[in-house]
Amino acid sequence: MNNESTHFDAVRQARRITEQAVTWYIEQQEPLSERQRVAFLDWLRASPKHVAEYFAIVQMHGDMKAAASLQKLTSGELVEKARRENPVVMFPHMEKVMPEERHTQPARGTLAKYAFAAAASAATIATTWLGIAHWRSMPMHSEPIVAEHYAAANAVQSLTLADGTLIQLDRNSSIDVHFDSHYRRIEVQHGHALFDVGKDPARPMFVDVGGHILQDIGTIFDVKRDASGDTLTVISGRVRVLNAHEPSAKGDDLPLPGTAIADLTAGQQIELDAAHASPVHPVQIAKATDWLPADISFQHETIANVARRFNAYTSTPLEIDDEAIAGKHISGVFHANNPQAFVAYLSTLPDVRVIHGSDRIRVVAVHRTDTKAGKL
Amino acid sequence: MREKHATWSALFAEKRTTLSNYFLRRVAHRWDAQDLVQEVYLRLLRIEPADAANIRSPEAYLFTVAANLVKEHAVLRAQQPLGSDELEQVVEQLVAPTNLEADMDSESRQQRLGALIDRLSPKCKAVLIMHYRDELSYREIAERMSISTNMVKKYIVKGLAACRQRMAEYE
Repeated sequence: MNNESTHFDAVRQARRITEQAVTWYIEQQEPLSERQRVAFLDWLRASPKHVAEYFAIVQMHGDMKAAASLQKLTSGELVEKARRENPVVMFPHMEKVMPEERHTQPARGTLAKYAFAAAASAATIATTWLGIAHWRSMPMHSEPIVAEHYAAANAVQSLTLADGTLIQLDRNSSIDVHFDSHYRRIEVQHGHALFDVGKDPARPMFVDVGGHILQDIGTIFDVKRDASGDTLTVISGRVRVLNAHEPSAKGDDLPLPGTAIADLTAGQQIELDAAHASPVHPVQIAKATDWLPADISFQHETIANVARRFNAYTSTPLEIDDEAIAGKHISGVFHANNPQAFVAYLSTLPDVRVIHGSDRIRVVAVHRTDTKAGKL
Repeated sequence: MREKHATWSALFAEKRTTLSNYFLRRVAHRWDAQDLVQEVYLRLLRIEPADAANIRSPEAYLFTVAANLVKEHAVLRAQQPLGSDELEQVVEQLVAPTNLEADMDSESRQQRLGALIDRLSPKCKAVLIMHYRDELSYREIAERMSISTNMVKKYIVKGLAACRQRMAEYE
């Protein structure tokens, strides 16, 4: 136990030093103020680790242009992808253990051949796939940073994990959480859970639902597991479902690994079991999430967190696009099915502007950008 | 030292990126990087508080110290003598692309880094690539992504930090 926490501390400390070094490096693009100069020098003098990390950042930064230039997509395509930020849902038949040559080959060959234009890049898929294989074959290989079990007995529980992931766990449901330095994994053992996955570009999130793996990069979805099978409902964002693994080699008519089976957008649902996927059909979000509490009550909670609680109920999520607003603490009770009331409340705050888009509602600060840039 | 430092501040302001590109790699090839860090650190500690306030660019100072150490070290080992006492020329030599081995290294490193960038979240990735490949300003990126310039900067910091953490695992 002690070992784990020391390892955790070391990882966290290394990450913090990296972030500080990068921040200082980026700050230097403009001349530092006198106060900043002193602070920077103090930071360097605080530890040789800081000096070493700063050098490392300088060196890596020297490679950034060349490395970024390897990217083939145009900026327009990248922006479009970022706008949709599609998560990928794979449902391989993971229960059958994959022979060694099967998980390297499809990843490089067949899998990579498919252009997941609307989903993540082929490289991401290949990595994901290897990641899953790695996970299954060597479950204890990486030292865990977080290993927890959650079970809700009599009431719906709201959990916030260390990475910012928000989970609503229904009565009589249980999940296992396992984070290490490479991956974040959550296993839904049984019951009903809603995920709003926290972002961590360095550690992909895998949600394991029996034989299916869901990889998420920033949408909100609901997973239900019971005797009749698994149900996936997308609350907001988009999800592509891939048949990522061909269970046997008998015959060419079986779907090849990586074949896209379905695209789900907000308000759609699919039923999955080990061998079969239902057609995608529309569903009323209110119905899919009727197990969630009808009221959202919060005490001294940040606006960002409250917005995320509302986002579990709506296909037009709220985005708080300003740090100061997002960090503000509020208390209150709202009807969960009435996010408009919350939006109306937000628009009464000083310096806040609400922009209604077709797929999301953005909350931004009024004339904030210029003064902020000046302050840095 | 103070005068040289002033010249260096100007030099760094002008050539920051180019220097970044080559500087430490050359250093690493000439001298064990850890020893260098240790030495640089000790010298930073020796700065008098009164002098510290006068350092116009701590970053340039940092590299001046490093370059001086590399030079001293080269003289000490009498290996590949750098020829001149002028720091500017030391830099020129450090920057000159003469070491084929180092260039091969850098190519595989760039490949790795490119793969890491590709695995970042779509938003982070889009911001980094538009900034580093297409050389767009924060403002231009902010407009295209419909986010604030502050957020652009945040994504850049986040993306660089994530890449660096992953690169460190190779070391």
